[in-house]
Amino acid sequence: MDNMNCFHCGDPCDDDTILFQDKAFCCNGCKTVYEIFDSNDLKYYYDLQSAAGSTPKLMPGKFDFLENTEISEQLIEFNDGKHQIINLFIPTIHCSSCIWVLENLQKLAPGVVQSQVDFPQKTVRISFDATVISLKEIAEILAKIGYEPTISLADSDVKKNRDDKKIIYQLGVAGFGFGNIMFLSFPEYFDVNEYWLEQYKILFRWLMFAFSVPVVFYAGKDYLISAYKGIRSRFLNIDVPIALGILVLFLRSTLEISFDWGSGFFDSLSGLIFFLLLGKYFQKRTYSFLSFERDYKSYFPVAVTRILQDGKEEVAQVNEVKKGDRLLIRHGELIPVDGVLKNGAAEIDYSFVTGEARPVHVELGKKVFAGGKQLRGPFEMVADKKVSQSYLTQLWSHSVFGENSDSKFKSLTDSIGKRFTYAVLSIAMIASLYWMFTDPEKVWNVFTAVLIIACPCAIALAAPFTLGNMLRIFGKKKFYLKDISVIEKMAGINTAIFDKTGTLTTSKHDQILYEGSQLTTEEKSLLKSTLRASNHPLSRSLYALLKEHNIMSLDQYEEFIGQGLYGSKGNANIKIGAASFVDNCNENSPGTAEVHLSTNAEYKGRFVLESQYRHGISQLMTELTQQMDVAVLSGDHDGERNRLEALLPGLTPMYFDQSPQDKLFFVKELQDSGKRVMMVGDGLNDAGALAQSDVGIALAEDINVFSPACDGILDASKFEYLSSYLHASKKAMGIIRLSFVLSLLYNIVGLYFAVTGQLQPVIAAILMPLSSISIVAFTTITTNWIGRKIK
Amino acid sequence: MSVIYVLLTISIVVAVIFFVAFIHSVKSGQYEDSYTPSVRILFEDELIRSKKNTSDQTVPISSKTNTKSKQI
Amino acid sequence: MEVQQFSYDNQIVKKFIYATLFWGIIGMLVGLLLAFMFLFPNVTDGISWLSFGRLRPLHTNAVIFAFVGNAIFAGVYYSTQRLLKARMFSDFLSKLNFWGWQAIIVAAAITLPLGYTTSKEYAELEWPIDLAIAVIWVAFGWNLIGTMLKRRQRHLYVAIWFYLATFVTVAVLHIFNSLELPVSALKSYSVYAGVQDALVQWWYGHNAVAFFLTTPFLGLMYYFVPKAANRPVYSYRLSIVHFWSLIFIYIWAGPHHLLYSSLPDWAQNLGVAFSVMLIAPSWGGMINGLLTLRGAWDKVRVDPTLKFMVVAITGYGMATFEGPMLSLKNVNAIAHFSDWIIAHVHVGALAWNGFLTFGMIYWLVPKMFKTRLHSTPMANFHFWIGTLGIILYALPMYVAGFTQALMWKDFNPDGSLVYGNFLETVNEIMPMYWMRAIGGSLYIIGFIVMLYNIVVTVRSGSAVTDEQAEAPALTRVSSRRTLGETYHTWLERKPIQLTILATIAILIGGVIQIVPTLLVKSNIPTITSVKPYTPLELEGRDLYIREGCVGCHSQMVRPFRSEVERYGEYAKAGEFVYDHPFLWGSKRTGPDLLRVGGKYSDSWHLNHMYDPQSMSSGSIMPAYQWLVRDKHDRSDVEDKMRAMVTLGVPYTEEDIINAQTAMEEQAKQIEESLYSDPDFAKTYEEDKSRALSNGQEFVEMKDREIIALIAYLQRLGTDIKVKDTDQLLSENQ
Repeated sequence: MDNMNCFHCGDPCDDDTILFQDKAFCCNGCKTVYEIFDSNDLKYYYDLQSAAGSTPKLMPGKFDFLENTEISEQLIEFNDGKHQIINLFIPTIHCSSCIWVLENLQKLAPGVVQSQVDFPQKTVRISFDATVISLKEIAEILAKIGYEPTISLADSDVKKNRDDKKIIYQLGVAGFGFGNIMFLSFPEYFDVNEYWLEQYKILFRWLMFAFSVPVVFYAGKDYLISAYKGIRSRFLNIDVPIALGILVLFLRSTLEISFDWGSGFFDSLSGLIFFLLLGKYFQKRTYSFLSFERDYKSYFPVAVTRILQDGKEEVAQVNEVKKGDRLLIRHGELIPVDGVLKNGAAEIDYSFVTGEARPVHVELGKKVFAGGKQLRGPFEMVADKKVSQSYLTQLWSHSVFGENSDSKFKSLTDSIGKRFTYAVLSIAMIASLYWMFTDPEKVWNVFTAVLIIACPCAIALAAPFTLGNMLRIFGKKKFYLKDISVIEKMAGINTAIFDKTGTLTTSKHDQILYEGSQLTTEEKSLLKSTLRASNHPLSRSLYALLKEHNIMSLDQYEEFIGQGLYGSKGNANIKIGAASFVDNCNENSPGTAEVHLSTNAEYKGRFVLESQYRHGISQLMTELTQQMDVAVLSGDHDGERNRLEALLPGLTPMYFDQSPQDKLFFVKELQDSGKRVMMVGDGLNDAGALAQSDVGIALAEDINVFSPACDGILDASKFEYLSSYLHASKKAMGIIRLSFVLSLLYNIVGLYFAVTGQLQPVIAAILMPLSSISIVAFTTITTNWIGRKIK
Repeated sequence: MSVIYVLLTISIVVAVIFFVAFIHSVKSGQYEDSYTPSVRILFEDELIRSKKNTSDQTVPISSKTNTKSKQI
Repeated sequence: MEVQQFSYDNQIVKKFIYATLFWGIIGMLVGLLLAFMFLFPNVTDGISWLSFGRLRPLHTNAVIFAFVGNAIFAGVYYSTQRLLKARMFSDFLSKLNFWGWQAIIVAAAITLPLGYTTSKEYAELEWPIDLAIAVIWVAFGWNLIGTMLKRRQRHLYVAIWFYLATFVTVAVLHIFNSLELPVSALKSYSVYAGVQDALVQWWYGHNAVAFFLTTPFLGLMYYFVPKAANRPVYSYRLSIVHFWSLIFIYIWAGPHHLLYSSLPDWAQNLGVAFSVMLIAPSWGGMINGLLTLRGAWDKVRVDPTLKFMVVAITGYGMATFEGPMLSLKNVNAIAHFSDWIIAHVHVGALAWNGFLTFGMIYWLVPKMFKTRLHSTPMANFHFWIGTLGIILYALPMYVAGFTQALMWKDFNPDGSLVYGNFLETVNEIMPMYWMRAIGGSLYIIGFIVMLYNIVVTVRSGSAVTDEQAEAPALTRVSSRRTLGETYHTWLERKPIQLTILATIAILIGGVIQIVPTLLVKSNIPTITSVKPYTPLELEGRDLYIREGCVGCHSQMVRPFRSEVERYGEYAKAGEFVYDHPFLWGSKRTGPDLLRVGGKYSDSWHLNHMYDPQSMSSGSIMPAYQWLVRDKHDRSDVEDKMRAMVTLGVPYTEEDIINAQTAMEEQAKQIEESLYSDPDFAKTYEEDKSRALSNGQEFVEMKDREIIALIAYLQRLGTDIKVKDTDQLLSENQ
């Protein structure tokens, strides 16, 4: 049986397998989902993709807050009273079965009119009849079949989408214009003064003009605007020479055709804009299903249950919670605000905050902190702050979260653009001065020609295509960056700072070592059977780590909340838990997590669970120290110091007991002393440092669950390769420099024709696309080549 | 060769028609999701016919499963 | 709003599949017959409606519009309904589409062998049928767009876009290329003349290939290949880019069919440029199709359906690579008029269209008849013999093409042609024609095997019923992202767009208005020595058209030394100003005839038509004895001349009144010149006296069809006898 996998979710079913319709299920949840699909004629789900399902984890009452209208108002996209539309983010969407079942939702949820999945975004857009079914019911049904939506007030913006569309429109206009203008301009290249051509020249030229107007003033308008802004703010960005080129091209061409001097450069013009937009589009592409902007709000519950004086419960929005409010925190819910535990048992997992997975037991009357997750049934607490003032959340009142980091960053392209513009302008001046004395006829021709041919299309393309492609490659390696500027910043890093818990250590599996007297097989099996009964995370991990033993059914089992377990079989009994709980235990060393045990009132020993360090970190650290300064910042006590020193290269500075603010200021100081800092962290407590640092990288065991605001999300399994990514980004910048050189060569060739006053439209029409295309090809090939070498 | 006028006009008119179609299809969000549709066409929707006979013993999803989910 | 029950119309799909199979076998058998006519020219001895010239257009029309056409409809009607989650807009229109299309095909199958043809390739059908085509095609488009409007699936899958493009473009092409002036019930003249007619014809001809044989099949590929392989298309994004880039380039490529012709160079080069660019989107599509099967090669090995599709897509890739190559001027100089082109089109037709259709049918039939394919081994046999057939067809034709081209251009040191006699170049490649015939036979054997296989499968299957399906209606609300609005709500809401479309409609209308005036104006002769045809020559030209001589004989001497040496002065645009339609041709199975006038004696032509082999032994030209036998009906020559006048040919009113007498005189002269040949005089008088003695009515030679044809042949190219090219060029525009 052990080697059997769940028919629904595919996980291995251990000894508690459920058989139903001669299919194995790992848990009741999976079985239930199967039943639902089976009886609603949705079994096609399993034909599409075997074991596609995911185990439902519904906490009752979790979605009650959706009944609160002012909350649902903010979520619902469209509402005409009867008919409503909502767009839900569902992280568990992962295969064709998911798409199919979610788009057949109306079979499970009468009242749902239509549901459409957007797979890349992992969202489903549901339109439903509010008079038949409520938003809450839909959410619960989704959760029941293992597609629990992640609802938060933070991410509900449509703006991004509209920008994307704008660039597509512009691309369409430019492409359309480009195609037609090419078709109209070619004849004059092929065959001058042929009788019929003479007849059509005028028509052709003015048609070209007509096509080019929208291309310049709609498709190309961003460049003109940004150039204008640049000049206003006394900063010559790369768009200035581009805009200059575009305008001159347009003006000269128009004049040429109106006075019949020539056919104009409309094809080069539209081609230029088309390629530029292509580059822009390429650089815009990013990971729509990831959010890099999340703050604590998007991770805290949208609403909490507040208990009123008269004992009634009501749903309240988190940010409405006031000091002194009495809150009900259910099993698996997050503590939204600092406060004091009033009644019930609190077993709190602070892993989101600190990265430390091991839960903390809290006595009545003790403080509980925002961001913790309750693991053992409900409890009540009294808030002693507002949400925004909690120990954790006040971090966000700091200025770094206000400004956006890009403003202070000036890209290589722009710094080039400045010099470039000066160069071009002076060349144009000198050339025209020369001609003014030799042949004044040509001055206008030369001056414009220089500006046209020197238009830095290729330079403007180099960065978007190189970095855009790198972004894609990193993505394939499960290293997701916010935008292409991050790569450029990564290349410049000279200091790397790591959070310890959850970053250097894994929150997943613990190392276990047993200190004490040898256990008999009976004792071992008793131990395991007792642990098996408990849901406590410690017991679960201990249970998982112990070797196989024949499980027996206990005569007696009791769990003492926050202390330990008691189990007995026949005359043998066992106590597992805190030192204070087990019989006559005299030793107690704080800091390390340990489970003591005693059998038949005789102390046996203790299991010490040590957090395990990620694979290959010492390797990684040695690599990094060769290139930059490395430091470790940890939120908790220095109990681990010795183990760390063993792992890390000598004299790596380590700082313990660092509050979120401390971390932030630490980074800031480094930056003030001129360092360019990369922060690698995982928890909310790193959020400040991540935001402050030049490059903040969040480590995630599962990229779909929460990660704090950052510039990049790195899949934990790839942590050890981090240095190779840094190296790759350096290489990428090298490529960009190379392509600058390349495009300069093209410019020199072009300038020769321009300065000597013999720039024919056909030359421009060949040279400009040629340079752009060869740059694109060059960058794409080289970046892929780099990509193949990084793991 | 004045037939060029004709062909030119036709070609451009056709091109414009398609261009308008393109703009509209982008506007109406046709290309917002450039993956899911390719999967969607693989689904067979005729198996809905078998529904009639099974529909009577449908699991009332609300009540029955609630109790289950508690045991998780 | 609520979930709706509806059913997919499978009957219509079934009908179209049957039609595809039926017309497919007929069209291909005709093709095979033609292939054998290269080997046994007089195999259909003396039966006028089975002569090569008349059957060739039947073959092309049957395979393109009957076989491929019905296949397109079958695939479109099946996939559209499912992609849009809606039954077709109107069952009536579906039926009209089906029966109308079959009626058109039948009409074609009758009129073409009887010699009613416009002689414009792939547009041979006469004006009444052209009208019918327009009507039925609009019915199809109406049905398609109607279905799109009432669809239940918000997203329009890329295949639908390809279908839509097919409808719009083919409609426009067909209308503008078929602008013709009727003379009688089944006779019309193209409104365009000479060079202009050629340009329009090949603008159409190329795009007929583009939008009838390519875009709809790409749509089918994007639907049926993923379905058959049960995996999504490799890159949907790429397929979208593929569509839009194809749409914006394809339409310009036409003139590459007229390289080195009298078309202005810049127009030719334009065609070349865009043809070369075409390779990018085409290969984008091919790669996308093949990569869809990436990782499913195990399936491909066992599943004949996928095998067919793989070869089909590969064929598409080959054809779309060869196309741009062929449109390069220097390559085209060799390949044009030769059998290379025949190879090229058959790779496209047999592999891309044929095999994709077969794959589709093998997948569809079992599915619709709720059964399994009768025999997979048989299907595999079909696949292998079919592939072998394609190879055996294409390779020899390539060889033939090269051989011809090389021999045509081969010079002796003294500057004379090595193969002065065209016949030598024909006899050289007879073995290739043999192999071609064999390859074709293999392909058809495969087809017949499939026919049997499918019939048995259908028998074993359950009757086709309309499939029940259900889907929620598309919601009409416009949310923040204006998703989910359908076209007419879009129109209602945005008067601007409405006006745009309106203006476009008006524009088209306006164009149709101005066309004739424009054309007439520009038809004023530009070479003074070029005169309109005499009435008899005009009649002769119509016989030339009726017998489909243009299928084997070009009338376009290209400006190459080899051709000028072989045929005489190269063609000038100005020579064709009275040619409604143009007869440049696209294939030289026989020699070019532009300058044949005065080359041979009248009696040579007579005997040659009566028994070609007697004049030039080893010729593969069939005999046209009925031309020599039959009386020639010249009654409606006045109408024809009047039609020409409206099209800008300067016949005076008295020319028209005296037409009959003029013909009589010219006919008499030819008859006399025939008498100069003693054998003729002897046999002819014998016949005459025998007939009179037996009291049968006797047709005077001058009244027979052959006379008119001779008159036309002797006139060909004689307007320019001057050798001074420079002077010509200066006059010629």
